Amino acid sequence: MSRPRRDPRAERQSHDVGATGSRPRYDRSQPLPGRAGVPPIVAPARSGMTTQPQPAKPELRIVDEPAFLVFAVVEAPGGRLSRFDRQVLGAARLLADAGDGGAGVVAIASHSVEGLGEAGADRVLLFTAEAMPGTVAKALRQTVDALSPRHVLFAETGDSADLARRLAIALDEPLLANVEHLTSRQAVRAIRNGRAEIAATPPRLISLGEDRIKPYEAAPCEARALALDTAPHNDDPAILSVEFIPGDPASLALSETDFVVSAGNGVSDFAAFRDLATHLRATPGASRVVCDAGLMPRAAQVGASGTVLSADCYFALGISGAPQHLQGIAGCEHVIAVNTDLHAAMIERAGLAIVQDAQLVMPALLQLLRGGER
Amino acid sequence: MKTTVLLSHARHPVSDRPQLSRLEAQAIALAAEVDEAPSGLHAGRNETGVVAALGHGLTALDRLDLADTTDPLSALAAFLTRQRFDLILAGRRGEGGHETGLLPYRLAAILGLPILADAVAITPGAAVETLVVDQAMAKGARRRVTIRLPAIVTVHPLAPPPRPFAYGPMRRGTIRRHPVDGSANAADLDTAEERPHRLRPKLMRQSAGQAAGANLYVDPTPEEAARLILAYLEANGIRRYGPLNDR
Ligand SMILES: Cc1cc2nc3c(=O)[nH]c(=O)nc-3n(C[C@H](O)[C@H](O)[C@H](O)COP(=O)(O)OP(=O)(O)OC[C@H]3O[C@@H](n4cnc5c(N)ncnc54)[C@H](O)[C@@H]3O)c2cc1C
Ligand SMILES: Nc1ncnc2c1ncn2[C@@H]1O[C@H](COP(=O)(O)O)[C@@H](O)[C@H]1O
Repeated sequence: MSRPRRDPRAERQSHDVGATGSRPRYDRSQPLPGRAGVPPIVAPARSGMTTQPQPAKPELRIVDEPAFLVFAVVEAPGGRLSRFDRQVLGAARLLADAGDGGAGVVAIASHSVEGLGEAGADRVLLFTAEAMPGTVAKALRQTVDALSPRHVLFAETGDSADLARRLAIALDEPLLANVEHLTSRQAVRAIRNGRAEIAATPPRLISLGEDRIKPYEAAPCEARALALDTAPHNDDPAILSVEFIPGDPASLALSETDFVVSAGNGVSDFAAFRDLATHLRATPGASRVVCDAGLMPRAAQVGASGTVLSADCYFALGISGAPQHLQGIAGCEHVIAVNTDLHAAMIERAGLAIVQDAQLVMPALLQLLRGGER
Repeated sequence: MKTTVLLSHARHPVSDRPQLSRLEAQAIALAAEVDEAPSGLHAGRNETGVVAALGHGLTALDRLDLADTTDPLSALAAFLTRQRFDLILAGRRGEGGHETGLLPYRLAAILGLPILADAVAITPGAAVETLVVDQAMAKGARRRVTIRLPAIVTVHPLAPPPRPFAYGPMRRGTIRRHPVDGSANAADLDTAEERPHRLRPKLMRQSAGQAAGANLYVDPTPEEAARLILAYLEANGIRRYGPLNDR
């Protein structure tokens, strides 16, 4: 639905040299528009076939008078949308574009977030940062009463899941929790340890399971800010104090962290490696060879017989990329490899591959991170 | 601090036998931090699964005798109102039932208690009748909330592991069975139509659209390599390293 379709007719038309005469003439030596860099032709509407290639930058998608609203609550730790947040927005877009379309997606965040438009939000509603879920739920309830959205979507994790349940109680409406399949007509969730499932037409309150619904990828939306008339502030008498303690990557478990820097057999200076991990604010990991040699604790081993990571980013120093090791990082979106061997499997897997001696790159990185001159 | 742990009818994911949910076993370990004799509360006919809770550190178990198909909410609320616990611990979501995780919130609404989710550690507060709860947040962060008791707290899977099971304490523990007077106030659980579960693959987490070798640098100087790496980390929003932004 979101991927542009090839249109063979339009492609043929674009080769037409427009010769006068009874037979059409085509010049096939011209490159096809829609290949190699030029965005592909989107199937034009039935009437009036045009062969103009689309402009390279997709234009902004603007919904001025939304037919109805779909709320998507995003958490966006650190002001950036996580993969899960994008999925929630993708699901909201899916419900908003269903049927006659023309609906608006309102992203609800507690602090300003970048990239909401690209992720599919037409409007943005900001609550104050550091509000507890209880107070956010109150404010959200007022907003729901004022704007009466058709759906409110949450991520089934952390504060979002908490908020979903508080709102369900406040509105006295059912919540379809941990949905694993969603279309505009049906939402399905598993029950009884995944032995059975229940399906329903999407209710108002839905919380989504992770990695279930595709993020939105088509033209960016405008993400216009909406004014909020009552800013929530913590006024719950039962809550006496709130303190936020940021996570320390060095002490996090490998399975919980979002960024791992890992040493393999190509690293010999482990003091520098640990120092680097601290300065990068990453969790240190290692390949099995290093753990076997006792240079790093066994708990740090990444791979099939170690920890399978759920991190976003993996930085491999001197690791060849054996299949057992690569299994452990299959879920990592960004991989950086530093290796002296151009043909190492890790170099092939990496999004940024650097063929260089790890012993030289580590001090250079450290110097840069310590604020030394470039 | 008078503490109770709510125990659901959990079922083993493979054998489907009744068992103690791991999360509730973790809740027992948390309860034992603040109360030397925590008790448990279960509403249901069957106690084969939940008795294991006595072996994990509970001293007593209250069971409200209720058919498994009825909604335990009103019976639990009535019992909790009578008993006046300072702290009520519950799991984040049940296992093997409807798994909505709404029950603690509904209880909180009926009893008029504050509720905090995702606890990984609890300690008594400095003042009396207060509790310090560490809530698990994304990326290993914690939110330390001081709350006035009585309260309901749900437990996160990252809480400390359950205490080891011991058979003797399980045999010695007391089980108090309470009849529920009349099923008039117990509504049946909503029975949406169930059908066999169909496995649906999750989205792949592979990196999107990275042509191999597109970002390959052979023998850059170490300084250049370092700069490339930090630029990549910042461009993809992994970390921000402050003043390095002005490359
Ligand atoms: C059943 C089984 C399970 C296994 N499970 C795991 C597992 O869970 N995790 C795991 O990691 N392994 C596992 N292994 C081992 C795995 O097969 C590899 O042996 C191991 O991952 C190799 O580790 P390495 O890449 O650090 O070492 P090597 O294969 O020795 O690679 C070292 C790399 O460093 C490069 N290099 C050398 N010097 C430098 C330098 N100065 N600068 C930069 N680069 C340099 C080399 O070019 C080479 O690519 C398992 C094996 C088996 C049989
Ligand atoms: N029958 C029950 N008796 C006691 N506690 C329960 C019962 N059912 C659920 N709970 C508690 O409520 C939590 C959430 O359950 P649920 O709302 O069913 O997902 C569980 O982890 C238990 O702590």
